[in-house]
Amino acid sequence: MRVPLSWLRELVAFDLTPEQLAERLTLLGMEVKGIDRRGTEWANVVVGELLAVEKHPRADRLSLTRVNTGAGEVLEIVCGATNIAVGQRVPVALPGAVLPGNRRIERTEKMGAVSNGMLCSGDELGLTADADGILILAPETPLGAKLADLYGDVVLDVDVKPNRGDALSIVGIAREVAAVAGGAVRLPPTDVVEGGRPAVERLSVAVEDAGLCPRFVGRWIEGVTVGPSPDWVQMRLLAAGIRPISNVVDASNYVMVELGKPIHTFDAGAVARDPRGRAGLQVRLARAGERMETLDHVERALDPETLLIADASGPLGIAGVMGGATSEVSDATRDVIVESAIFDPVSIRRTAFRYALRSEASLRFEKGQEFRLARLGADRATRLVAEWAGGTVAVGAVDTHAQEPAPRRIAFRPARVDRLLGTDLGIDAQREVLRRVGIETEVSSSVTDVAIAAGENPASVAASAGTAVIATVPTWRRDIEVEADLAEEVARVHGYELVPPRRPPTEMPAWRESPLAARDAIREALVGAGLTEAVTYALVSPRMLEAFRWTFEDRPAVGEAAAQGRPVAVTNPLSLDHSLLRQSIVGSLVEVVDTNARHAIVDVAIFEIGRGYGGEPDRSHEWWRLGLALTGAVEIPAWNQPRREVDLDDAKGAIELIARLLGASAPSYSPLTDEPILHPGRSATVEARLPNGDLAIAGVVGELHPRLAEAWELRARRVIVAELSVAGLTGGSLAVVRAAPLPRFQPNERDLTVDVPDSVPAAEVTQHVREAAGAHLQEATLVGTYRGHPLGPDERSLTFRLRFGAADRVLSDAEVDTAIGTISGALADDIGARIRS
Amino acid sequence: MNLDDLSRDLETLAEETASALAGASDVAAVEALELDVLGKKGRLTGVLRGIGALPADDRPKVGAIANRVRATIEAAVAERRTILGSAELDARLRAETIDVTMPGRPIRRGSLHPSIESMAEIARIFAQFGFVTYETPEIETDEYNFQDLNIPQDHPARDLWDTLYVDIPGRLLRTHTSPGQIHVMRTVKPPIRAILPGRCFRYEAIDASHGTEFFQVEGLMIDEGTTLGDLRGLLDEFAHAMFGAGKKTRFRPGYYPFTEPSVAFDVECLVCGGPGCPACGRSGWMTILGAGMVHPVVLRNCGLDPERYQGFAFGMGPERIAMLRHRINDIRLFLENDLRFLGQFR
Ligand SMILES: [Zn+2]
Repeated sequence: MRVPLSWLRELVAFDLTPEQLAERLTLLGMEVKGIDRRGTEWANVVVGELLAVEKHPRADRLSLTRVNTGAGEVLEIVCGATNIAVGQRVPVALPGAVLPGNRRIERTEKMGAVSNGMLCSGDELGLTADADGILILAPETPLGAKLADLYGDVVLDVDVKPNRGDALSIVGIAREVAAVAGGAVRLPPTDVVEGGRPAVERLSVAVEDAGLCPRFVGRWIEGVTVGPSPDWVQMRLLAAGIRPISNVVDASNYVMVELGKPIHTFDAGAVARDPRGRAGLQVRLARAGERMETLDHVERALDPETLLIADASGPLGIAGVMGGATSEVSDATRDVIVESAIFDPVSIRRTAFRYALRSEASLRFEKGQEFRLARLGADRATRLVAEWAGGTVAVGAVDTHAQEPAPRRIAFRPARVDRLLGTDLGIDAQREVLRRVGIETEVSSSVTDVAIAAGENPASVAASAGTAVIATVPTWRRDIEVEADLAEEVARVHGYELVPPRRPPTEMPAWRESPLAARDAIREALVGAGLTEAVTYALVSPRMLEAFRWTFEDRPAVGEAAAQGRPVAVTNPLSLDHSLLRQSIVGSLVEVVDTNARHAIVDVAIFEIGRGYGGEPDRSHEWWRLGLALTGAVEIPAWNQPRREVDLDDAKGAIELIARLLGASAPSYSPLTDEPILHPGRSATVEARLPNGDLAIAGVVGELHPRLAEAWELRARRVIVAELSVAGLTGGSLAVVRAAPLPRFQPNERDLTVDVPDSVPAAEVTQHVREAAGAHLQEATLVGTYRGHPLGPDERSLTFRLRFGAADRVLSDAEVDTAIGTISGALADDIGARIRS
Repeated sequence: MNLDDLSRDLETLAEETASALAGASDVAAVEALELDVLGKKGRLTGVLRGIGALPADDRPKVGAIANRVRATIEAAVAERRTILGSAELDARLRAETIDVTMPGRPIRRGSLHPSIESMAEIARIFAQFGFVTYETPEIETDEYNFQDLNIPQDHPARDLWDTLYVDIPGRLLRTHTSPGQIHVMRTVKPPIRAILPGRCFRYEAIDASHGTEFFQVEGLMIDEGTTLGDLRGLLDEFAHAMFGAGKKTRFRPGYYPFTEPSVAFDVECLVCGGPGCPACGRSGWMTILGAGMVHPVVLRNCGLDPERYQGFAFGMGPERIAMLRHRINDIRLFLENDLRFLGQFR
């Protein structure tokens, strides 16, 4: 809501600077978002008097003028407008002036005549909407005065909250100012000079459903002259952010800003007559198949839920949202109907959304309107139309519900208010505070019902005699319904800053493990291992979702949710790129790799812990996953370390780190050859188990399939990715470490090298070693591999370091030799391995 | 061989050894000489072999001389070894000298994402105040996201949350973490001190200060006598923990349909510290969160008796907090994952 202070001062007195006023309003809950000083663009624009206006000798359309600017000097200025005459006072932009739109005024030569400045139109100054002629100022305007001093204004941009529709008006803001500055609000005059036949003989209004239109006030003005509004009106509307159109339309907009009451005006000549010869307005829902052209000249098919203003021949306008083209007030309009109605807020809101026609008017209707405003607004608008456009106002008004409801009376318990606020104000102070915003109060001497909840499920409690106060709430404060609303009003007007802060002395809740605990530990570990945490969009493009849809069988870790359900689509997406909820994380991470490559950052190691989403007809699923993506060099390039490209083992190392953190076994890997996202020869499923056998980690790790990399035009050559379900991401803590006693006896270590065909995976060899080794094998670590002479082309050798030991003695070499012999025999027999000594 | 001869031989050995030591150029030569003279089969032993030919009376005298000579030689050897040893060490140290001004071997460390870390930091601060953390779904029902929070269908306040809807009937992407209040109040009995971090979604065009996706942290405290003053006291403590002790705060009216009274909470501008600057819109204040006393309708929707229980809720944007703390001027950076940005947070 833009509030010009000149307008505000007309309704309420205050002795505050704009900054002070802005702060007071903000502390009252009317947050001032900005202070706009109008007139800063009018430096070097002054009031001048035209001493001479003559034809330019060489250009028909130009005039040579001589202008007195009061500075003792007469300026010669060339002007293209035709509405000027000697004796008029006009705005003169002197050389050096910079007008709105950064238009610089300099001394120029036009067709051989020198121009020492420019005479300005209202539009050029941003003062009025008139671009056709020079702005002619009143004869009494002081000569030589700076325009900024005369018409400059300060406009506050007030953020009015949705519950305070009453404050979407100068009057509403004035009431708030009065509450802090102590003055009284002077309401604008609404009395109208009437004459001629009564309005009821000119106009009839038939409301089909009073629920949708509880009140409709219509007035009639005959014989108007439609034209531009007075300049000061245009200035005011522009300052408030409203474009002036014509005196009649401006009058309705003026009332909307001033009182917060949207008004519509009709060309009465365009409204069909009822059987008694009156203009016959109907308020009804649209009928199936009805169409109309709205003011914006769009032909619209009307939905049957649309509330219309119509006449016998069809729709005239969409009630509360937008008028129709056929009954629009134009230069030819002679008689005007003023409509000031109350509509059902929900109906207006739905209609405005349906046609995407939300306007200043519909916004005010949506928030609900003070019932009284229907008549006040009609009278005020009628008065202004008559003042600015002339004509005769028909006697009286057509009013479908002239009886106005009494102000609401709402009980509250001052002790309860103090208990809620943590204050010690007491009854008297609270009553005094409320009086400042026009809420009169009386102490109830009997048992009183105090409403504590309104709406669909209202509730009230009984307050014993003498403990409740009954507040009479002004009719415009539709937001105050229950006790808590009055508590806020007390706090707001008293000042939130006066609520004493206290550290809460409440009882301590029971301890609960943070769901972030394990996640944070994993994040820290990965960051320590050189990976950077990424956060990507949960909403992705259809292309991304399809390309990165895993086909491997999802197995969640213990305590984690399974990936399940169909992809969930946003029904009103902002863009296709963010239209579906993702089901995997890796695709987004690959995109991050690519984004960074575009910035020439090619060494990327990132992870994200995020959710996947799935839907079913009546419910949704969400699951946590850890994603990894690695590409480029492993280490930071430096003079003292060689460059090494990341490979699958680096990703596995990160997974193994997490397994250790979780207290799980070393992860085991199985070849994954048929996952379209991944390289068939360089991918594996992973699992790691907790000591009790539960899955701690499950998922896939692998190199991105070259085809996919190509399809996405990836700038990175090889990207290693992983997507894992990890126990603890959803919640829970890391297992407590159980320290094992240190071995008392020295272990016996041996290296064993076996030559095996490539077709036998290392994991299988390791498993055979473990199974054959007997009880004394404590650890088998793969410490080396070798290819080449004398091995065959499809062979390699694997070297294991085997650690043997016993809890109660040092093993003899003979015992270890026996174990090695057993292992060697088993490897030779079971997988055809050759053992080297 | 008599006593005098033997004594002279011993003295000669001492002198020869001394001059040989002086000629020794390294520790190895000294050690060879030491072995040659003092070793089991060395020259000293050789000289003393003549002792058996002496009369018994002279033997102790020779013994005394021999011991003195041995001690002299030992001292000379040790001295020469020390001198040569340190010279050798010096040479080695000289040879081993490197350019110590070269940079060290970099250790790669990643960085925590500022959104998540800001959220975790907020949760850690409130954990100190006894708040426990919960997480709730991101795909929500209209009831949880709006209706149970006292925002009926077609309520104008819905304008505050432009909503993304999904193709599951009645479901939407939560526009705020406030539905978490409902989940907690329906599962936990007061006293409640809960903190709810998580991802939210809005139908909002992306610009420097808005995102379609962002995070929020919700807080909730319910007990029998929890007041607006308690809210103010708690938020002051939070502002001091997050932005520094002694930072001024401002407590003013706000609006949310699910709180009454509602609060907006400001902290003094971290850039200008009060007089006003472009960063704070010349007001001297920066709004960091919204809050309020939980509306009786919301308490009732969760099965709590508003006559017995009262309390407050608050919600803040961790990105906003991070932007203020780290002077980040564009919210889009948080989801762009440009490593030149993320890498600054190590
Ligand atoms: Zn500032």
